[in-house]
Amino acid sequence: GLTSARAAEILARDGPNALTPPKSTPEIIKFLKQMVGGFSILLWVGAFLCWIAFGIQLAQGVSSAFDNLYLGVVLALVVILTGIFAYYQEAKSTNIMASFSKMIPQQALVIRDAEKKEVPAEQLVVGDVVEIKGGDRIPADIRLIFAQGCKVDNSSLTGESEPQSRSCDFTHENPLETKNIAFYSTTCLEAFLPGTATGMVINTGDHTIIGRIASLASGVGNEKTPIALEIEHFVHIVAGVAVSIGVLFFIIAVSMKYKVLDSIIFLIGIIVANVPEGLLATVTVSLSLTAKRMAKKNCLVKNLEAVETLGSTSIICSDKTGTLTQNRMTVAHLWFDNQIYSADTSEDQTTQSFDQSSQSWPALSKIVALCNRAEFKPGQGNLPIMKRVVVGDASETALLKFSEVVLGDVMDVRKRNRKLAEIPFNSTNKFQLSIHETEDPNDKRFLLVMKGAPERILERCSTIMINGEEKPLDEERAEAFQTAYMELGGLGERVLGFCHLYLPEDEFPDTYPFDTDSMNFPTSNLCFVGLLSMIDPPRSTVPDAVSKCRSAGIKVIMVTGDHPITAKAIAKSVGIISANSETVEDIAKRLNVPVEQVNKEDARAAVINGMELKDMTAEQLDEILINHSEIVFARTSPQQKLIIVEGCQRQDAVVAVTGDGVNDSPALKKADIGIAMGIAGSDAAKNAADMILLDDNFASIVTGVEEGRLIFDNLKKTIAYTLTKNIAELCPFLIYIIASIPLPIGTITILFIDLGTDIIPSVALAYEKAESDIMNRRPRHKKRDRLVNEQLAVYSYLQIGILQSIGAFLAYFTVYAEQGFLPYTLLGLRVNWENDYNNDIEDSYGQEWTRYQRTYLQWTGYTAFFVSITIQQVADLIIRKTRRNSLFQQGLFRNKVIWVGIFSQITIALILCYGLGSVTALNFTPLRVQYWFVAMPYAILIWVYDEIRKLFIRQYPGSWWDKNMYY
Amino acid sequence: SSLLPKTVLWILDCINSECPLCLPGLILFFYFVLYLFLAGMFSFCMYMMLLTLSPYTPTHRDRVSPPGVMIRPYLHGFTIAFNVSEPSTWKPYVNSMHHFLQAYNNNVQEEKNIECQAGQYFIQDGAESKEKKACQFKRSQLHSCSGIEDPTFGYSTGQPCILLKMNRIIGYRPGYGTPVSVDCAIQKGNASALRSVDFYPGNGTFDLMYYPYYGKLTHVNYTSPLVAMHFTDVKKNDFVPIQCRLNGEGIVSDVNKDRFLGRITFTLSITM
Repeated sequence: GLTSARAAEILARDGPNALTPPKSTPEIIKFLKQMVGGFSILLWVGAFLCWIAFGIQLAQGVSSAFDNLYLGVVLALVVILTGIFAYYQEAKSTNIMASFSKMIPQQALVIRDAEKKEVPAEQLVVGDVVEIKGGDRIPADIRLIFAQGCKVDNSSLTGESEPQSRSCDFTHENPLETKNIAFYSTTCLEAFLPGTATGMVINTGDHTIIGRIASLASGVGNEKTPIALEIEHFVHIVAGVAVSIGVLFFIIAVSMKYKVLDSIIFLIGIIVANVPEGLLATVTVSLSLTAKRMAKKNCLVKNLEAVETLGSTSIICSDKTGTLTQNRMTVAHLWFDNQIYSADTSEDQTTQSFDQSSQSWPALSKIVALCNRAEFKPGQGNLPIMKRVVVGDASETALLKFSEVVLGDVMDVRKRNRKLAEIPFNSTNKFQLSIHETEDPNDKRFLLVMKGAPERILERCSTIMINGEEKPLDEERAEAFQTAYMELGGLGERVLGFCHLYLPEDEFPDTYPFDTDSMNFPTSNLCFVGLLSMIDPPRSTVPDAVSKCRSAGIKVIMVTGDHPITAKAIAKSVGIISANSETVEDIAKRLNVPVEQVNKEDARAAVINGMELKDMTAEQLDEILINHSEIVFARTSPQQKLIIVEGCQRQDAVVAVTGDGVNDSPALKKADIGIAMGIAGSDAAKNAADMILLDDNFASIVTGVEEGRLIFDNLKKTIAYTLTKNIAELCPFLIYIIASIPLPIGTITILFIDLGTDIIPSVALAYEKAESDIMNRRPRHKKRDRLVNEQLAVYSYLQIGILQSIGAFLAYFTVYAEQGFLPYTLLGLRVNWENDYNNDIEDSYGQEWTRYQRTYLQWTGYTAFFVSITIQQVADLIIRKTRRNSLFQQGLFRNKVIWVGIFSQITIALILCYGLGSVTALNFTPLRVQYWFVAMPYAILIWVYDEIRKLFIRQYPGSWWDKNMYY
Repeated sequence: SSLLPKTVLWILDCINSECPLCLPGLILFFYFVLYLFLAGMFSFCMYMMLLTLSPYTPTHRDRVSPPGVMIRPYLHGFTIAFNVSEPSTWKPYVNSMHHFLQAYNNNVQEEKNIECQAGQYFIQDGAESKEKKACQFKRSQLHSCSGIEDPTFGYSTGQPCILLKMNRIIGYRPGYGTPVSVDCAIQKGNASALRSVDFYPGNGTFDLMYYPYYGKLTHVNYTSPLVAMHFTDVKKNDFVPIQCRLNGEGIVSDVNKDRFLGRITFTLSITM
């Protein structure tokens, strides 16, 4: 090996043997981004205008100057606090990841200074000689210099789950294909490893194959999520309205001979009234609530916005192995007595219900149990059979579990039929053989059992067992075998043949020395007993999930490295290819014409081979994606996944991709939502993904889609709810400017609505149940179905918002009128009202008011206005529960959180009004109880009006009303 | 459905229509109807609310009492600064006083108002809507501050008169039987800056007979009683901050936030 000194030298040159983590944005930049995103800029402008106004007013000695200072500080605080909140939320979801990437520092056994040493894998350098045992992760890219029966699992690299043998022989020019190179992060399998492997490190860290792929993944740009685009769109709308109304009224105010400073203060008010300060935080909370709910359903969301992306998904490109299937071979069919039997393949089987009465069955089951080297790991007696860990390869494991289910204790059966000799499976024989004593003490014959590739087994047989009796294997019976073999093979299953022979007692006495090398026993003229076929069966929940996807308008595309026949069989059994659809090849076969003559549009389904895909142009791929609704890509390399994803995205689809290997990470990054497998997934895949499926189950994706769609609907409701009161906050300013009445509601009070009473109710809408089966409609169109559409804005602003303003103004006028200022007196009163020196303003009754008495009355007006908005927001909250259904259909009490929201809203209002009414800085006063009820008729009107709206929408779908009033 | 009036049927037709041509018009019409309805409802509610109000007395008077205080002359602040030798500096004050006191001219008062019995509230029972009599407050009662003998109210001699007025509150009876009086003092600084003030009428009290006030509608000719303060000896060529207070039961003059409740602060700056 290398000397320590030389190793240190190379280490200094090449750097540690670890992947450089993807460049992350510095925390401070992330934080600052939160400070300027969304509405923050508008609010900063408002805050700075406040401070400017404060400066000028202070210089002029205006007594209310400090109000502007405070308001500016409050606005800045609002921005900073919501920024901190958003930053915290983001950091929290990043932390979920941290737990995943926490890796146990890996050790490697390296020969240095001619001694074996354990060093951390990070310190490996090129030229080091390392030893690997079974079960180890390969610590770097190594060239094997000594290997015996070494097999590696390259699934994390290539996605192929078949173990691949490794030796010292150079077999291929391509480093990925040659047998003498083992790759970083792949696993050396234990079961096939009698010896150890030794290799020389040829690449470390980022130079390894995995490192290169990882850097490819980080090169794929991160695009904005659909919900981020929607929120941006919404922010643009609101900011546009705020700025244009603000500027318009600034101009109006200036041309009405208001002082510029006053006009600036109006502008601030209009901005504050227009911006829903609490909304973005509410959206974040709603999304994280859904993320939590999804985590409970095994979808761990890394990026909050991905919650909704999943809901708008229109194409899911799913892996087969492990996602759609159970990721374990299971006996699916048996053939004996000229008949095919189906076995139970569900995840939790405890018995097998096929007909086991035939005389042939005991013979077959004995071969299955005996001719098998797999064993359960000890100490799992109380676990269900299907969950036990087995030492052995996939097929043998399947057979072992199968016989454990049908026979009971297999180990005991093997003990009773002691094994005398054995030839393990190898690729030249393609069979496995063992010789046993029989359990019957009177029967001194030995039993030779054999299993292997069916055609090879059949070659060695001269008889066949039918109903427990040996019959000659004539042509007719051989034909029957061929038919069964073809049929099972056509199902994509791996078929094994089983045969046996009772060795005659006279030729093979008790003491006969069986020698597996010279094969001093017969291996031909055996008796064929039956066939067993195995498959990695679909998860039982998947067919249902796929049909849900279909009714939800989501196209499920299977992308697998597996053989097309197996892929197609699984696709058919889970419904990705539905029972009555055909591929071009199927049609050709049915019509007996060449494939080229079939009209491609007749075929709904398509099975595309990776080799075909390699030669396709982008246009051809597009054509396939458009023309066929049921597509399976088989024998694809993980790199081709990226091509498929890009093809789907060209159709304007929102694409979800599942993946587990490192090679999948570019596709996961490229996809609108990358879904990594929590169990089988590699760290690189988890890093690149937006979501992690904790149970690797496709069905979990579908529940995620449902949640995603629900949150989109509910965010609509939340936004509609929040936008409504903005008009009720804005109108006072406009009327204040135009009609010169005392200010009906102050900016601070507005902030108390936006960030106080309205917060919990708007979050409560996130708990609203779906109005109809959301999985029965098509996914939303990325560009057409907006979160905030024209109807939503118009209905909230121009209808309910106006209604609310009117209700609040009624309360305002009532308060002033009952104190002596009748409505007509208020018109044009503003200048005198706000004059600090004028302390004897006359009201409608001839009474005279000091400045402070007026201010206090003004605050009472604020409070009344505030209370009225709150009361009407309760009605608004209730109507927003549904967009189409009547409240009575939806049920008033199904969503209990709404009532928590209403309760909180009213409690906060009560506390502000009566608890903090004496704190003058907050501008609240203890309000007479009757003023709480002034706006009540309008609250009821809001509810009745909305019920009528919904009634007409339901009655006249597609009508003018529906188009204009449904948001 | 035959029972539905034709208009309702027509509206339902409109709602159910898909005819693209009538759409913009329909939207305008819809908003016209909606806003008309809202305006109607708002007017109705306002009307109902106003119906509950009495035209004579506001429903609540808790926010306007206890009374605030104002002074005349009032131009645009509470600093009265003038140069005795430059009439143009004090002329505006004098004009303001004259203008304010028009309503107190003896002939006006004698013509419109009655003489009342001093020393007790002038309570007028009877229907609320009955017109109320007002008591005479003649300008001449202000003596040297009446502007009759000295039309410059002392401004030309550096001894300015300032009128103090208590804010009107319907039904309010200041002092609970004892007349409210006024006194003045230096607000901050050397007390010697204000050596003598004369108060008119009656040593600076608001006579009970001017109360209670019955409101603009029925107490038509009511003129607020005044107290004139004649600052006969104030430090010249300096800013002299003066605070005048009402004294009497029920009068509040120590609220921090309201510096005009039961008191008033102004600055005299007389240049010789």
